[in-house]
Amino acid sequence: MSLAPDLKQRVLAAAAAKPAPTRGQTTRARLVLFVAAIAGALTIFFIKGGVRMTNRPPLLVALTSVGTAILSGVGMYLLFTRRGRSMLRRPGLWLLLAALGSTVAFVSWKFGVSAAFGMAQSWPGRVGFKCLRLSILTGALPLFAALVSWRGTDPLTPAATGAAFGAGAGLGSALLVDLWCPVAYVPHLLLGHVLPIGVLAALGALVGWRLLRVRSR
Amino acid sequence: MNADDAMSRYARGDDAAFAIVYDAVAPRLEGYLRRHLRGSAQVEDIIQQTFMQMHDKRGTFSAGAEVLPWAFSIARNFMIDTMRKTKREASADLTDERTAMGAMLVNGEEVLQARQTGARVLAAFEALTEHQRAAYELTEGEGMSHAEAASVLGTTVTGVKLCRHKVNKRLRSAIEEREQRVAAAPSAAPAGDR
Repeated sequence: MSLAPDLKQRVLAAAAAKPAPTRGQTTRARLVLFVAAIAGALTIFFIKGGVRMTNRPPLLVALTSVGTAILSGVGMYLLFTRRGRSMLRRPGLWLLLAALGSTVAFVSWKFGVSAAFGMAQSWPGRVGFKCLRLSILTGALPLFAALVSWRGTDPLTPAATGAAFGAGAGLGSALLVDLWCPVAYVPHLLLGHVLPIGVLAALGALVGWRLLRVRSR
Repeated sequence: MNADDAMSRYARGDDAAFAIVYDAVAPRLEGYLRRHLRGSAQVEDIIQQTFMQMHDKRGTFSAGAEVLPWAFSIARNFMIDTMRKTKREASADLTDERTAMGAMLVNGEEVLQARQTGARVLAAFEALTEHQRAAYELTEGEGMSHAEAASVLGTTVTGVKLCRHKVNKRLRSAIEEREQRVAAAPSAAPAGDR
């Protein structure tokens, strides 16, 4: 048994009747979306106060920011990119390990460097809710951009991919919030800096399952 | 031009390249889908849906990426959807193969033994998880590399190798168990014949 002889013609005719964006058009559209999302996140960040040294030495701010940038960058690279020549995402276990590893490394770095400068003590007035809110607000826009950009492209694990995008966006927002927040007290870090990564990952999983999956026509 | 290059050209806007992609990918998808679905219409419908998905998302196809695992993962996704909808038996192919094997054998006892062995293998195969079955079919049936199958299934190369190992072990033990029973049988059979 073989395929109907006219199937190829039907497929080609259907494709010709419904123009699809080329790689160049898709890349440009994604670029516009991401630039807009990052500009939106930066706008929120600067409206909320932008970079704040508080009583932190400049070297401490530089060290925590550069370290967070590197760790977040590695995490986002693993969470957002594909593996090798595959068109598909990395396996779920990989994504989970990348998200957890980056988050643990980022918190350890922030706490370790701050402790070395004697600035990891408790801040009774700073529980972490402001950081939580700012992290979620600044991370939600890039997450939305990623979910829209890759909509309908994941036939395997749309929820895991959405969660990975959420964790990646959370790591990106952690970099911004680190420039804003001087507190390195562990309970504060967990509530204000780690929880938002989890919240964005959960949001990404929920929305990703709807948006990223490939639907039957 | 191979299918990967053709898809890459199609992603860049060379519409004529899609026919080359179709010629290279459609027969592979057909073979895979026919092993799971009985209806020709369903197979053709899934192939059409798969190519339309590839067309819609051609802009996301990266330069240098592999088209076959991508196409298989999309087709498999549609196939699972279809199977859920129609509740068809995924093992229809094996039942057919068992019947065909039986028809080829002339001796009645051989037919019976082959059927019993086939039933054991079938039971062992059906006891596997969906993931293990798919890993076995893609590597054994479709001749994909471990890396390609891992890509289709969204797992690691080690994961595919582990699945293959488990499948081989289960099928081998099912066959060996059957052979041991057959080997033990002749001592009782002559007594019955007398």
